[in-house]
Amino acid sequence: MVQLRPRASRVPPSAMVDEGQPASEEEEEAEHGLLLGQPSSGAAAEPLEEDDEEGDDEFDDEAPEELTFASAQAEAREEERRVRESVRRDKTLLKEKRKRREELFIEQKKRKLLPDNILEKLTAAGQTNIKKSSGKLKEANLQKENEDCDKGSDSKKAKVQKVQSVGQNKSYLALRLKDQDLRDSRQQAAKAFIQNSLYGPGTNRTTVNKFLSLENKRLPVKKAAAQFLNNAWGTQKKQNAKRYKRDLFPS
Amino acid sequence: ASTSGAEHASARARGAAVERDEPPAIGIRCVAYNNQSNRLAVSRTDGTVEIYNLSANYFQEKFFPGHESRATEALCWAKGQRLFSGGLNGEIIEYDLQALNIKYAMDAFGGPIWSMAVSPCGSQLLVGCEDGSVKLFQITPDKIQFERNFDRQKSRILSLSWHPSGTHIAAGSIDYISVFDVKSGSAVHKMLVDRQYMGVSKRKCIIWGVAFLSDGTVISVDSAGKVQFWDSATGTLVKNHLIANADVQSIAVSDQEDSFVVGTAEGTVFHFQLVSVTSNSSEKQWVRTKPFQHHTHDVRAVAHSPTALISGGTDTHLVIRPLMEKVEVKNYDAALRKITFPHRRLISCSKKRHLLLFQFAHHLELWRLGSTVATGKNGDTLPLSKDADHLLHLKTKGPENIICSCISPCGSWIAYSTTSRFFLYRLNYEHDNISLQRVSKMPAFLRSALQILFSEDSTKLFVASNQGSLHIIRLLEGSFKHLHTFQPQSGTVESMCLLAVSPDGNWLAASGTSAGVHVYNIKHLKLHCTVPAYNFPVTALAIAPSTNNLVIAHSDQQVFEYSIPDKQYTEWSRTIQKQGFHYLWLQRDTPITHISFHPKRPMHILLHDAYMFCIIDKSLPLPNDKTLLYNPLPPTNESDVIRRRTAHAFKISKIYKPLLFMDLLDERTLVAVERPLDDIIAQLPPPIKKKKFGT
Repeated sequence: MVQLRPRASRVPPSAMVDEGQPASEEEEEAEHGLLLGQPSSGAAAEPLEEDDEEGDDEFDDEAPEELTFASAQAEAREEERRVRESVRRDKTLLKEKRKRREELFIEQKKRKLLPDNILEKLTAAGQTNIKKSSGKLKEANLQKENEDCDKGSDSKKAKVQKVQSVGQNKSYLALRLKDQDLRDSRQQAAKAFIQNSLYGPGTNRTTVNKFLSLENKRLPVKKAAAQFLNNAWGTQKKQNAKRYKRDLFPS
Repeated sequence: ASTSGAEHASARARGAAVERDEPPAIGIRCVAYNNQSNRLAVSRTDGTVEIYNLSANYFQEKFFPGHESRATEALCWAKGQRLFSGGLNGEIIEYDLQALNIKYAMDAFGGPIWSMAVSPCGSQLLVGCEDGSVKLFQITPDKIQFERNFDRQKSRILSLSWHPSGTHIAAGSIDYISVFDVKSGSAVHKMLVDRQYMGVSKRKCIIWGVAFLSDGTVISVDSAGKVQFWDSATGTLVKNHLIANADVQSIAVSDQEDSFVVGTAEGTVFHFQLVSVTSNSSEKQWVRTKPFQHHTHDVRAVAHSPTALISGGTDTHLVIRPLMEKVEVKNYDAALRKITFPHRRLISCSKKRHLLLFQFAHHLELWRLGSTVATGKNGDTLPLSKDADHLLHLKTKGPENIICSCISPCGSWIAYSTTSRFFLYRLNYEHDNISLQRVSKMPAFLRSALQILFSEDSTKLFVASNQGSLHIIRLLEGSFKHLHTFQPQSGTVESMCLLAVSPDGNWLAASGTSAGVHVYNIKHLKLHCTVPAYNFPVTALAIAPSTNNLVIAHSDQQVFEYSIPDKQYTEWSRTIQKQGFHYLWLQRDTPITHISFHPKRPMHILLHDAYMFCIIDKSLPLPNDKTLLYNPLPPTNESDVIRRRTAHAFKISKIYKPLLFMDLLDERTLVAVERPLDDIIAQLPPPIKKKKFGT
């Protein structure tokens, strides 16, 4: 029997006392251990303690059961089979779940798309338009791209088409929103460039008021600035005053 | 004799006295001159494109309304009077000058377009884009077709110019200029531009304009204030002129290539001329000859006609400066022309309810005029007992500008039109409250209306569409009924259609075509007669009550009176045509934009332009060239004899200016809307700082 030194710090001294005599000397050691402040992995301590206890009991009472090899083997196989079965079941369940979710997504997507016939007409119109106005295309490789792409999938050229009578005597434009955003952002960038070059830092700009007031300043009798009053001053206060007046004197 | 006095002593509604949210004045971005037709195309920062007929006294005869997404950066004419523009939305737009709409818009697929140039032969179009590509398009009879790309450059192509032979082009970018060979599309030279004249600068040098001359010289103007001459054969700098402390933003060369004009951000326009080095030598050099300071802000566009320098910019004025040495006859035609105010009426009036409807680019404002109970003498300003009231601010949905608008005389209907839609509103007045109700499902043929007019009794709506048709709509309580459409008559479209309806509701007059002014009989729904065509466009039109005389004002300041029932010019009109108008009357440089009448005085015609208003009294003798035209009312203590001697038919007053609108509200009240220039300037973007000694 290997007597394992108890890891005393986790277990209170009272627990040790309950175990009985053989623990008495260990108790002292445990206390000693406590006083010394032995480091311990508390979590490991407890189960070890318990095992020791059980092990101690069994040891005292009976001999272990005898198992034949065959039965043990059978049991092991049984165990394995059960595990395999459960794993398989889990797998199929997951598969089914995934399948169902996938179908749901496809259905939702279909609902979002235009009806099939319109999509077909759009792409058909796109293809014919591309062939008609081949001069419209910028680079040769783009043209190749268009010919390779699938029906209904993203096509940069098919974005702006005047579709004649697709619906009931209606003609409308099909636009790809992503392209519009790109166009807008480029336009914004261009406007920012102009604004920066003409009015940004480094340009020698002044306000209109100062510009118009230059002449007034050089007159023999100096006059006030062109926009002497700052009408924007205290707008909030003026608004509050108006509101106050209105409330006091409802007309 | 004191007929005019009583009229304008009453309360004056002064727009400037009331705080209004004025939109910023719209600056000029590009100009393009067409030599063949002597017309000038002008594009503004809001996308509006205006066509001025320089032969017709610089009258704005057509325009294309703006659009929020269209930031036009380039404008050019091609062969056969075709007009193209390119802008930051990446589209090339062709304008139809007959149908007065946009023919088509084609995406260039290069990102925002910065510059455009038509080849010397007129059949090819070159476009400079944001992504550094220069794209060549073929101009086909009804469209343009992409041909090919030139070698792509690193930075955006901000300016383009063709060599007169069509073999090479110069493209100005940021910090460098490229010279391309058209046939191969490859860059032959890349000329680097100094950022600062003889110095170092952190700011990139933007080449705002380039011009390619026949001898291979490339002239460039840039943001550092330099004008540089380059030799395109060797790719080297020949001459350098530092002319300003700010950007030089535009350049235009004359057809003879002996003079060119540049515009700077300080508002100065410089004229360069090719002069002989000495009086006998054949060697010539470019010399800066004249500076002109007619602008306060950036001059972003210049053009060079055979006889004049044209400039326009952020300060919204269009300035045409005839060159003295080029003008053959030195008369008034050689004077400077500065076009500031619109050449059409943007304000309509409801006489019954004293309301004014103001038309802006994206909204309408309805104002009720103030009133007064005070009385006074001539020339007094009376205090208002009731202030002008801002009743309605009607904002239009969508990015398109409003083309035209009108309020009915009774004040119960407001109509306005954009390119794609027509709006009709019914107004209800209850005590002090006003409610608006839109009439839905307006027919599609009413959109893109050029002119809207209500009948005097407000039961009919007349709409002139850009296709040349005239529509008559009967107005019912909350709904409408399409009565009739007059199909376009023969003749080409010369200017925007103007409408006039007789107060008795029988006659409708429409101008704008080369055939003359058509007069329609509304009761029988057919064409009644056509006033003979005159070679200057009509600027204003009105039909007098009871006499049914049609008064027409043309852009050369001629005024005709035509009797509709008699189908001929009136006696008075013949008399004044025989004698001729006073020379000062003919020299006025703003067109008459509105004509109206006094309900009880059939001998009076009231008309105004931007700087004066005039009451023509047909009972008084006509002035000849020796008479003083502008004779304000002499003081009352002068004897009657003198008054009678100086009195003539044209009673002109210049007390209100600049006038946007003036009309008779009733027998005793006149309303005038002024637009002080200071107000316009106050709204402009910041100008370049100018250091003046002592400030």
